[in-house]
Amino acid sequence: MQSLSATSMAGILLDLSGVLILLLAFACLGSKLFNRYVAYYGAQSIVLSFAAAVAAYAFASPELWILAVATLAIKGIAIPVAARRLLIRRLDLKRDAALSTGLSTSLIVGGGLTAFAYLVTRPQLLPHGVVAAAVVPLSTAVILLGALAMVVRRHTVAQLIGWLIVENGVFLGAITLVATFPFIVEAGIFLDIVAGVLIMLVFVSGLTRQLASASAPELRELHG
Amino acid sequence: MTALAFIIIVGPLAGTIAAAVGAPGRIAGWAGASGACVTLGAAIWLLVGQLHRAPVRGLGGFLYLDSLSCFFLLTVALVTALAAVGSVGYLSAEEAAGQLTGFQVRLYFIFFGIFAALMLASLETGNLGLLFVLIEASTLASAALVGLEGKASSLEAAWKYVIISSLGVTIALAGTLFLFYSASALHLAPNLRLTWPYLFAHAHALAPGSLRLAFLLAVVGYGTKVGLAPMHTWLPDAHAEAPSPASAMLSAALLNTGMYAIIRFLAITKVGVGADFPRTVLLVFGFLSVVIGVLFMVRRGNFKRLFAYSSVEHMGIIAVALGFGGVLGLYGALLHTLNHAIAKAVLFLSSGDVSLRYRTREALGVRGLLAVVPLTGGALMLGSFAVLGSPPFGLFLSELTIVRAGFAAASPVLPLLLLLLLAVAFIAFARTTTGMATGEPEPALAAGPGKAGPYPGRAARLTAIAPAAVGLAALLVLGLWIPAGLSAAITHSIGVL
Repeated sequence: MQSLSATSMAGILLDLSGVLILLLAFACLGSKLFNRYVAYYGAQSIVLSFAAAVAAYAFASPELWILAVATLAIKGIAIPVAARRLLIRRLDLKRDAALSTGLSTSLIVGGGLTAFAYLVTRPQLLPHGVVAAAVVPLSTAVILLGALAMVVRRHTVAQLIGWLIVENGVFLGAITLVATFPFIVEAGIFLDIVAGVLIMLVFVSGLTRQLASASAPELRELHG
Repeated sequence: MTALAFIIIVGPLAGTIAAAVGAPGRIAGWAGASGACVTLGAAIWLLVGQLHRAPVRGLGGFLYLDSLSCFFLLTVALVTALAAVGSVGYLSAEEAAGQLTGFQVRLYFIFFGIFAALMLASLETGNLGLLFVLIEASTLASAALVGLEGKASSLEAAWKYVIISSLGVTIALAGTLFLFYSASALHLAPNLRLTWPYLFAHAHALAPGSLRLAFLLAVVGYGTKVGLAPMHTWLPDAHAEAPSPASAMLSAALLNTGMYAIIRFLAITKVGVGADFPRTVLLVFGFLSVVIGVLFMVRRGNFKRLFAYSSVEHMGIIAVALGFGGVLGLYGALLHTLNHAIAKAVLFLSSGDVSLRYRTREALGVRGLLAVVPLTGGALMLGSFAVLGSPPFGLFLSELTIVRAGFAAASPVLPLLLLLLLAVAFIAFARTTTGMATGEPEPALAAGPGKAGPYPGRAARLTAIAPAAVGLAALLVLGLWIPAGLSAAITHSIGVL
């Protein structure tokens, strides 16, 4: 556990990956093209799997190695490829027009949320003994940014990507807890994400077929 | 006891297996119903057998059963049994009417069993991480039920449900992480650090800052599943669009599973940071839910939406009761959980019969229910009076207990406000349901489509009525006399908290 102090090589790499993951969440929040959403999400997942590999090396934990590989294969490659093939290309999605605020506004709000995350979970506030405490505010900020993306984007595909970013944020926080999260639980979380994405793909393509456009403002039938 | 816990989970899967190997819908339905009845029997046995014993632990902390989990297991198993029997009639009628294909019916039974088994499993685990995994998985299984009909509106409801709930549960996972952060100063064995009993035993040593954050995130996250306002927006759509027995499962079983998770976090937080903080959080979310539920009940429209908003209201009442706290408050909260679950199962199951006959889910399209189908109409009327807290049904007793707890715990303003809201709810709800039950039915319906109605046979017709009757009888019993075993189980559960 000592090997992950902030000054060690592994600690620095973990912090750096955390920062990169946050920046990629910002990039996703600041873009308007469906292709980019998926690309940024894929890049974020690849950095995440790198972070998991760093933690796996530092803790010498074979289970974390498996998770790092699974993150790379499923979140970094399989989900982006599936999203591109099954959603973006087939539904011919290009430019996301269903934004409820301008890009600059959402970026400013995102900055505020990041500051808030740091205010609430800065390392000094955390109990002693949290491994890689600097990652905690970063992961909280990524969770908030993903949730913000889900709020300001009304297109179903964009909301799906937003949820996946939230999930990445939680996963980043969980890496710092590897010593306590049993493998079964991590694997279960993974299975849930895969099953969740599959079922959401079914719903989104079903909705699109029926409504011609699955943008949430058109989902008007149910309200009140 | 471990074997019993295993039987409880596996029971509902009988229908899943039957449907997966290609049995026709009717047979899969009966398999699921009998499996669910076995589960119910096992849950009762477990509750009684567990009364005076130490909690069951096993599988390295993954299995943990104390009286609280046994009590919730009983609630969910009872609802599952009622809904599984009701499914046989409802689904066969939908298939006979050509509303659903045979494939869809089989899909229904596959996911129904998985959904029930996952909920039961989530009540049996002592591991917080696994709890998240199981609750999220149950969201996915039930989303398939919500979107089953494949219409644009049901797909939309399913999408809304799956995306909002997944986000909520993910936030709860973040809350779980913060709970672990707060425990990081303790030197517990790694795999024990995430189990209820150990965290509860060491709750006073947890770091209060992280613990507060963890509780708030857990209430928001699992509260999304419970349907606490303002995270309730998925609930009315999903309940309205799902097939009626599945709505009963959502409202009467799934919401309680979320509440169970909140209660566990509450127990730890109360010891860790004192009672004031969790009380404030629960009272705020609870009252907000009651107000929102009541306000939306005033609108007359889809009757399944009405029942759904009533669920929001009742979950709010349970949260308020937990907030009032004390022995009375907790007793009232748990009793109300059971009562509300049974009453909602009765209402949704009888609403299934109504929508099959009238082919509408709009309250204004339904007239003269008591004349057309006296049994269902009667069940709907009695069920709605029960859910509104009229004597002699169980909810009267539990709501009375909660209000008394409020007077004992807080200033009289809060319980009086609760009483006022309950009165408004009574008027709003009863206005719609009495309108449906009375009045002049359309002549075509009054003539009646024959003895069996929309059902392909007497047995199917019986399965549509029997669960509602059994549920009403149970509510009546609970209103007059609480069985000693049940009362002891609730008292023990309070001890656990």
